[in-house]
Amino acid sequence: MKAKKAAALLLSGSMLCGLTACGQHETVVTENKENIVISLSWWGNDVRNEYTIKAAQKFEELNPGITVKCNYSEWSGYQVRSNVQMVSNTEADVMQINYAWIEQYSPDGMGFYDINTLSDHVDLSNFRQSDIDFGMKNGRLNALPIALNTQTVYINKTLYDEYGLDIPKTWDDVFAAAEKMNGEHYPLAVNNKAALFYMVAYAEQTSGKEFIKEDGSLGFGAEEFSIMLEFYKRLIDAGVTPQVEYFERINNDSGMYAGTLAWLSDASSYMGGAEKAGYEVAIADYTSYEGADSLGWYTKPATMYAISANTEYPKESAMLLDFLLNSEEMAELQGVEKGIPISSSARAYLEKSGKLTGLQYAAFEKMNEHSDKMKVISPYMENTDILEFVQESCNAVYYDKMTAEEGGKTLYENVNNVLKKLSE
Amino acid sequence: MAKENQNSNSERIHQIKMTLIIGYALIIVAAIMIVSVFSVSKTTEIMEEKVSSMTAAINVQLKLNIENYLSKLETTGTLIFATPEVYEYDAVNPSEDGYESLNTEDIIGDKLMELCIMENYVDFGIVYSNNHYVGKLSNGTASLFGTELYAQLENIISRDRTEDGWATGCMGDYKRIYYVKRVNENAVFVASFYTTELENVFKLPEDMSDVTVRLIDEGNSIIYSSANDETGSLLSGDIAVRIQDLSSAALVDAEYLITVNTCGETMRVICSVPTYIILDELKVIQGSTTVIACFAAVLAVVMGILLSVKITDPVGTLVSDLDNKAKLDRLTGIYNKKSFEEVTEKTISELKSSKELGVLFVLDVDNFKGVNDNLGHSYGDKVLANIGTILKNTFRSCDYLGRIGGDEFAVYMKISGHEKNHCEKLIRSRCEELCAAFRSNYTGDDNTYKISASIGAAAAPEYGNGFAELYKCADKALYASKKKGKDTYTIYSGSEERAGDPDES
Repeated sequence: MKAKKAAALLLSGSMLCGLTACGQHETVVTENKENIVISLSWWGNDVRNEYTIKAAQKFEELNPGITVKCNYSEWSGYQVRSNVQMVSNTEADVMQINYAWIEQYSPDGMGFYDINTLSDHVDLSNFRQSDIDFGMKNGRLNALPIALNTQTVYINKTLYDEYGLDIPKTWDDVFAAAEKMNGEHYPLAVNNKAALFYMVAYAEQTSGKEFIKEDGSLGFGAEEFSIMLEFYKRLIDAGVTPQVEYFERINNDSGMYAGTLAWLSDASSYMGGAEKAGYEVAIADYTSYEGADSLGWYTKPATMYAISANTEYPKESAMLLDFLLNSEEMAELQGVEKGIPISSSARAYLEKSGKLTGLQYAAFEKMNEHSDKMKVISPYMENTDILEFVQESCNAVYYDKMTAEEGGKTLYENVNNVLKKLSE
Repeated sequence: MAKENQNSNSERIHQIKMTLIIGYALIIVAAIMIVSVFSVSKTTEIMEEKVSSMTAAINVQLKLNIENYLSKLETTGTLIFATPEVYEYDAVNPSEDGYESLNTEDIIGDKLMELCIMENYVDFGIVYSNNHYVGKLSNGTASLFGTELYAQLENIISRDRTEDGWATGCMGDYKRIYYVKRVNENAVFVASFYTTELENVFKLPEDMSDVTVRLIDEGNSIIYSSANDETGSLLSGDIAVRIQDLSSAALVDAEYLITVNTCGETMRVICSVPTYIILDELKVIQGSTTVIACFAAVLAVVMGILLSVKITDPVGTLVSDLDNKAKLDRLTGIYNKKSFEEVTEKTISELKSSKELGVLFVLDVDNFKGVNDNLGHSYGDKVLANIGTILKNTFRSCDYLGRIGGDEFAVYMKISGHEKNHCEKLIRSRCEELCAAFRSNYTGDDNTYKISASIGAAAAPEYGNGFAELYKCADKALYASKKKGKDTYTIYSGSEERAGDPDES
């Protein structure tokens, strides 16, 4: 009987527990895994956009828990957007920046994160001190260079051959080519920035003066600016290039442009299409007077990567930076699209995989041949305001709204004011 | 021998018990199986329904996301009309002054830049009928359409009222999605974005990573897919055949759970997940249900066994008691006449060889009537009970003892493996022991009435193969003992009946 009573008690007890359990609903909490989100911004064309988006995905794959938000645009939109973001503290965590931006956004070195403090996550041993120096500002490492760059003269050799023309070396060669092509092709088309560099090279060689001195002050006077403006008008009138506003990169593919001036890093995006279309593309010497040899031509870091001074995730940003500069995965995706990488590990990978070839590499070798005579660009030379003033004056002179002399004076005043403001 | 009989009843009781247990176990197991199968199938049904409606809800959210994204671009594009230069300027008109044109294009370019500056749009510009453009126009777009740029963009305009339209897969290229809106009769506005941008639009929570999200056009070409490398290809046949022309639906079958929603006018958002992935979770539920069901079944069977044992054991005891009561003589505790006859009959028929012998002793109490008459029935009963004890003490427990009349008793004894002479000695010995026992019990201190036993014995199979036959012989032998003066025994030997004379043994 005792056993029966005990069994009954146990049974009723368990039923009671069951009923109690039915009456209550246990709260189930599932915490969502929150990824760290860092942003990456760059400028570029379709090719660069595609491989950089892939690279971001690859980085996410290799680093679970980190999401990379991509932010991209072509160059002109990018610099305006970056300016908005930099001044509103909404810039991306990792940014592709132009060399000039270090001076523009970080005159005291505080505008970007000091990458030296993140050296546990970024392998700096892949860079020579001279490369690192490009990104140093006030003792802080603001940015790391991806590749070295220079304006390069790309020639559609097939078309030049058709006209019995040699690859142009001198200014006269260029105008002679225009004459021979007689409006059927532009022998050396330039966009707005390339036009500025071409004009500067011509004016420096003609006058023997330096556009912007090493200390950041203006080397040119009104007279030199007049030379630039006259030269621009001559380029258009002679049919060397269309007006910069009407420059369309795509015309390189069709052969409408028989030559173009573009960054070394832009070799494939400017001339890849022409090569695909079956044209032979050659790298010309830097245009100069007979014997002047590349005077007035500049080198600079192609593009650089920087980390936002305001980033909430410096470690993760540094990991991404290291991935973009030093990893084999990125080297594989990027190849030589941005130029020949400065990072020794990325370059070693490209060498090993036989990718250091082609037009980009030929342009790189051309730059190396002349590097001892080329100067490092002044960051101010790519200042947007200066570029706009130059373009305005070019158009004013071209459309006869001003004489070259008047235009030169106006331009001198405008550029001088910009530089003064920048040095304040 | 009495035990054997009892055993057969126990076996029957045991059989009943086992039948009860097995039957009960089968019913319980069947019931649990039915309940389990039902609950699992119901759970499957409910779960499919729930997952399906959840996925449908997510699909609607994704549709809203993409519509918002597209609508945002449309709105941004429409804002270009806030600047009159944009729609008034005609780049194709040769009368336009070149310098003024450049200034106007600057204004237009600035406006366009201002509007798209923070977005990842690949194209955001105005294309004129002479293919000249202002604003952003990517290399990809320029190469894709080439000299047909303006004409191809114009073709994208599909809505009459707003003079705009969406397109992807232009010239077989699915990398971008284009929006085109007419600006004036010689200009269109074009904006585009990479389909990879839709990753953010169609982002699902991590625990829904098994769901594939696709955006397809009216020809079932995939514009965007969360699965790799599908963009531009046709939607796989097994999904296409399921969704056909459905514009908004959720469906589940053995292979897929699919939800569809139309967005824009011609595109559809499709979420799909193989059913087995959902059912994987159900398998866990099924596994748990099976384990619980098995446990419940085992528990129920064990409880059933215990219960049936608890119930059948007392019944068995009761039946056994009743059985015994029916078979035994209440006074002496030995078989009554009927039972004795039955068991003896059965045992006689089972004698197998000449080495086996069955002996029936028939015993009659001499002068028992006087005991009853003079000492009362109560005392007589005591005497009879005592006789039962004498018989039990004299014979083995395997021998059958019975009271076959008022004062008449019988014993059946089986002898195995002995020679005839030895058997006879054994019979005689038992008879003598019995006579002696009567004498010592009732001729001791109380000599008021002397009782004794007259015994007749007959052996089977020599003198009978059945009880009646053997009894007849034994009774004849008993009669001979009575005739000889009582208190003696006679072993039946055919024609002659021998009394218990020691000389004759």
